[in-house]
Amino acid sequence: MEILVESLKALWQVTLVGLLLGAGLPALFALGMRSLSTGRLDGPDGQHAPTSATTSPLARLVGYLCFGLVVAAALFGIVVIVFGKQLFG
Amino acid sequence: MTDALFLLVIVVGTALAFDFTNGFHDTANAMATTIATGALRPKAAVALSAVLNLVGAFLSIEVALTVSNKVVDIQGPDGAPLAALMGVPILTVVFAGLVGGILWNLLTWLLGLPSSSSHALFGGLIGSTIAALGLSGVKWAGVMKSVVIPAVAAPVVAGLVAAVGTWLIFRIVERVPEKRRNDGFRWGQIGSASLVSLAHGTNDAQKTMGVITLALIAYGSWTDTTAVPFWVKAACALAIAAGTYTGGWRIIRTLGKGLVEISPPQGMAAEAASAAIILSSSHLGMALSTTHVATGSILGTGVGRTGAEVRWAVAGRMALAWLITLPAAGAVGALCWFVANALGGLLGIGVVFALLVGASAWMYLHSKKSHVGHHNVNDEWVEVVLERAQAQAHRDIPQTLLDERPALIETPKNHSPHV
Repeated sequence: MEILVESLKALWQVTLVGLLLGAGLPALFALGMRSLSTGRLDGPDGQHAPTSATTSPLARLVGYLCFGLVVAAALFGIVVIVFGKQLFG
Repeated sequence: MTDALFLLVIVVGTALAFDFTNGFHDTANAMATTIATGALRPKAAVALSAVLNLVGAFLSIEVALTVSNKVVDIQGPDGAPLAALMGVPILTVVFAGLVGGILWNLLTWLLGLPSSSSHALFGGLIGSTIAALGLSGVKWAGVMKSVVIPAVAAPVVAGLVAAVGTWLIFRIVERVPEKRRNDGFRWGQIGSASLVSLAHGTNDAQKTMGVITLALIAYGSWTDTTAVPFWVKAACALAIAAGTYTGGWRIIRTLGKGLVEISPPQGMAAEAASAAIILSSSHLGMALSTTHVATGSILGTGVGRTGAEVRWAVAGRMALAWLITLPAAGAVGALCWFVANALGGLLGIGVVFALLVGASAWMYLHSKKSHVGHHNVNDEWVEVVLERAQAQAHRDIPQTLLDERPALIETPKNHSPHV
């Protein structure tokens, strides 16, 4: 019984961290892509028209910020892989 | 050469063979989605994964000598063998356990089913320990906590996270042109899959390093329980990388094409969920198996995408395989211990080793009958089992024709020259 309670506690934490990073980071990546795509429209032949100039500077900034955060999180992941035990026990 | 030295050499070789099967069994966990969506060509994907596994194995600074302490009682708290088992007794237990793990890995590979290599190793060790020491040699509470509960929980947690991630992604990028969207997420996939590969190299190679170090301590040629000899680290890193590069194509095919039709956004959602859960779980007190997490994530991306088809029959076969991993590997482990012990000495070990080589060769030859490789790994998925059931219901196809087809592994329909 004690094992079950302990396990559920650990699982609850894994689920929370998983949702935050495992679902949150891809969503942030998606947000970055959406920001960099604003102003671009599908052309009649299915290709998007070459209108990168119409993406506003602000949208571009938001986009790069999102990608930057995702890359930083991935680098943090490598730190966890190598030094995880020292950092978190 | 003394019996103990002969046994040590065999144990080290068998442990490296296990490490190799561990590698090719798990290539799919990181790379199946990347290959299925065409983010990387099959050969490039396994090469990248192999390199990252190699690097990951060398990066490991932890000594996993006590990993088997979770489930069996053959070592002291510091990882050194119990005094009563020092030498040949513990080497025999470890050897029989490794054989159980390898044979289960090969059988599940032959059937194209992903199954946890760690659980196979635990199963083998539990079986051989029961045979050698009786039921009291096993830490049943530990088996519950480290094997049974994680196996049930991992796919559920990973599935939930990946489903939420997939749902969010598709909402957010709804209006992004499809080509642009897919190109972007292919990069995201490669990044997240690389992280999974790196973590795998660190985690899984460590286990074999621990087993070999344990054997060296048992033999008496190593005494430090806080370090791994460099040659052991190098050999394990190379073995897991070589295994990964070989690519368990049958399993890659099942995970990449069998469960869900995967698009690049789903692929990234799956690998990101896997990476986050694998990296966080071991530090939050519940180490989850990479295989169970990766499978759950891929299922989750199918659940999270509106209109996607999930082949639950395939998932059911996997669940069944996971359920019997522990007893099946355990039975082989126990059998091998009995054979080795009954015949005794060099003869016993030699016979078990010959059994291992023979069974492995048989399964390898059997796999040639329905070859799956990098050339046809992405072909359209056909449910042979379903066809067979329907045919039996109608009785309009001669049974002999059906029997020639493999039951569980799906033979690709069209043999395209290259993917």
